[in-house]
Amino acid sequence: METNELQRILEAYDAKLDSSIQLNKEALKRIQLEKSEKKTRIILIYRGIELLFFGIVVLFLGNYVVSHWSHTHLAISGSIVGVFALIALTGSIGQVALLQQIDFSKPLVDIRKKIELVNSHNLLFIKLIFLSAPIWWAYALVALDVFLGFDLYPHLDQDFVLRYLVFNAVIIVPVSWLFNKLSYKNMHIDWVRKTIGFLSGTKTGKAMEFLNEIEEFEH
Amino acid sequence: MPLSKKDSFIKLIDEHKKIIYKIVNSYCPNHADRKDLEQEIMIQLWSAFDSYNTDYKYSTWMYRIALNVAISFYRKEKKWSLKSDYYNEESIFIYGENNLERELESDQNLKLLQQFINDLKELDKALMLLYLDRKKHEEIAEILGISKTNVATKIGRIKIKLKKEFEKNTDYGNK
Repeated sequence: METNELQRILEAYDAKLDSSIQLNKEALKRIQLEKSEKKTRIILIYRGIELLFFGIVVLFLGNYVVSHWSHTHLAISGSIVGVFALIALTGSIGQVALLQQIDFSKPLVDIRKKIELVNSHNLLFIKLIFLSAPIWWAYALVALDVFLGFDLYPHLDQDFVLRYLVFNAVIIVPVSWLFNKLSYKNMHIDWVRKTIGFLSGTKTGKAMEFLNEIEEFEH
Repeated sequence: MPLSKKDSFIKLIDEHKKIIYKIVNSYCPNHADRKDLEQEIMIQLWSAFDSYNTDYKYSTWMYRIALNVAISFYRKEKKWSLKSDYYNEESIFIYGENNLERELESDQNLKLLQQFINDLKELDKALMLLYLDRKKHEEIAEILGISKTNVATKIGRIKIKLKKEFEKNTDYGNK
């Protein structure tokens, strides 16, 4: 199809539209435009609650580490869990910032990317769970101490502790590799797509696929 | 007498109604949902009307909002919509006595072109609609947020695809 031919088709199309459609002004007036003030998006409320929750957790863990400074194993465990809570808090702050920037009158690619980054937020938690695998013991020690007032560490056999430390050190490499693989840039890899879809739901999977499409479109 | 805000808005929509029609037609394959998309676009345009940036043309502003709404609608992202409870059953368009749908259906080239657009991915579809509306590469780049060179490259690729599609489906290639 040559450009001239395309132009001819388009002119015919526009002529048909010109002669066939009119704006239904009365219907437009009845849409109650005045009453359509921007409702606070539910998603912003969710992310706000999430931000507040992780903020409290980070403050609590900071206080926990300071007050258990003399018990090295609890202070280290508290610090490790605190770092993860801090990552989650940073993620929530980022989400709120993204939501504030979403304005439909801005360029399409930029806004679509921000929307899909919000839609794929669940993946951060999945990745944090993966990344927590080698240091699961930190969660266990802190949780038992906080909720049951029981310090497990002195009751553990030192050989058992050593074996687990070695095992967990070994799995750091594959877990970090997996952490990096679970990204929208790898959605073309079948197992990555399926894993993301399975662990974080179809919506997150679709958002990641669209992020990948946006990236391709930009370049 | 100066026009009220609402009258100015309606006048503006009237001048650019074909933009809305084409976007709704391309992003909403289900006829029954088209009224909802038309109204969601109107609501979003109205809510952004006060903050319209005069540095841009009205059509640029309108295309950005309408395309963003249409893509969210197409992807069924209801959380990005505004007041869906204010939707009513009417279309914002009045169709003339000549049946537009039937007329468009009977034009083989138009039908093929519409089908081609419908089958494109969301962002390519936006690019194609802008190109077919004879927008300059610069304005397309401004609406989409990509470089002018990228616009030119993508349009070139889509045109090749379109040519092949027409050759495959019509006897155009033999002429």
